[in-house]
Amino acid sequence: MSGQAVQLVRRTDDSVVEATLYDGMRPEDLLLVERAWSPERLRLYEQLLQKGVRRDEWPESLHWDWSKKAPELRFLQATGFGIVYDRSWEGVMLTKTAAHVARLAEDKGKPLVYVDYLEVAPWNWRVLPLELHGRFKGIGSVLFREAVKQSIDEGFHGRVGLHALPQAETYYEKVCGMTAIARDPIKQNLLYFEFSRGRAQKFLEEGGAT
Amino acid sequence: MTTKTKHDGPSREWLRRMAEAEERCGSVTVGGLAADMGLVDGSSSVELPRVFSRLVEFARRSRGLSVEALAQDADVELAELVAVEDAGKMPSPRTVFQLAKVLRLSTGKLMELAGLAEPKDVSLNQAALRFAARSEPTAKLSREEREAFEEFVKVLVEASDGG
Repeated sequence: MSGQAVQLVRRTDDSVVEATLYDGMRPEDLLLVERAWSPERLRLYEQLLQKGVRRDEWPESLHWDWSKKAPELRFLQATGFGIVYDRSWEGVMLTKTAAHVARLAEDKGKPLVYVDYLEVAPWNWRVLPLELHGRFKGIGSVLFREAVKQSIDEGFHGRVGLHALPQAETYYEKVCGMTAIARDPIKQNLLYFEFSRGRAQKFLEEGGAT
Repeated sequence: MTTKTKHDGPSREWLRRMAEAEERCGSVTVGGLAADMGLVDGSSSVELPRVFSRLVEFARRSRGLSVEALAQDADVELAELVAVEDAGKMPSPRTVFQLAKVLRLSTGKLMELAGLAEPKDVSLNQAALRFAARSEPTAKLSREEREAFEEFVKVLVEASDGG
């Protein structure tokens, strides 16, 4: 596993902190991630139940379990990325470089990096019904940027595809500038997004459509 | 872990712009919904310490519940509960939470026993070992098993740590 210095924004005072982005996470790293995150998931789950928050307002990945994804890291085409601050995993992403091809007309059939899963640590979530605003922001963007860089490194020219959860559709379409292709029946009807090489370059340089 | 010293991340301006945008959107999560995360092939299941499987089984039997009835009361999948009890499969965090609620045991301690949380309580490990050593899964709880179970439950009751 190798790492590089990245920065995150601390939500309380908007200060920038130095963190480390690792690639090549191992299956055992995902087990540690879930061990650290699951008590916080449960704490939120209890609070949401106690406050009677409607299910459609719950964080959509509340029941995720990264330990279930650990075996996938044994495959060569899968890469795990994670951001660590002060010995704590703040966000994790799993990408695949095979078995997925571009669907955009201009790139149809060409290889791309597929973002299989991306999630930030539960203590970084904004859960407004609980008046929680999270510890750090920018984690998802820094991780996603790494997927675009991986695509360039692989010779895929920044082509990236992903299925966003409904609460994240606005971010990938309006903020990152990805193209919404279609809802995918084999992926629980999630909306599939893709980056063309031009849009990916703009995202790297300027932060997409912002 | 090795860490490169060069700073290869985005500029500070890029980061701040994107961080603010994230804030407005609320979520950046990618991937399958909850069910998908729990339905990876069986090879991903991790062997549980046998004590968790046995604890769930004993707690159920001591209440005179069938597996089906417990699954229904706890609102968990019957197949998952069977797999936890019989095959020692690792349950999802939600299942542990639901079981803890119905069986009135400490969520945090059950999470530790299930291998889903970092072990914090040394006395819990000791109690679990004593329980494992003295119990065997049979149709009815023997007096000795019941004593072992009740002693272990004292360590696990919800009131002891507020869940």
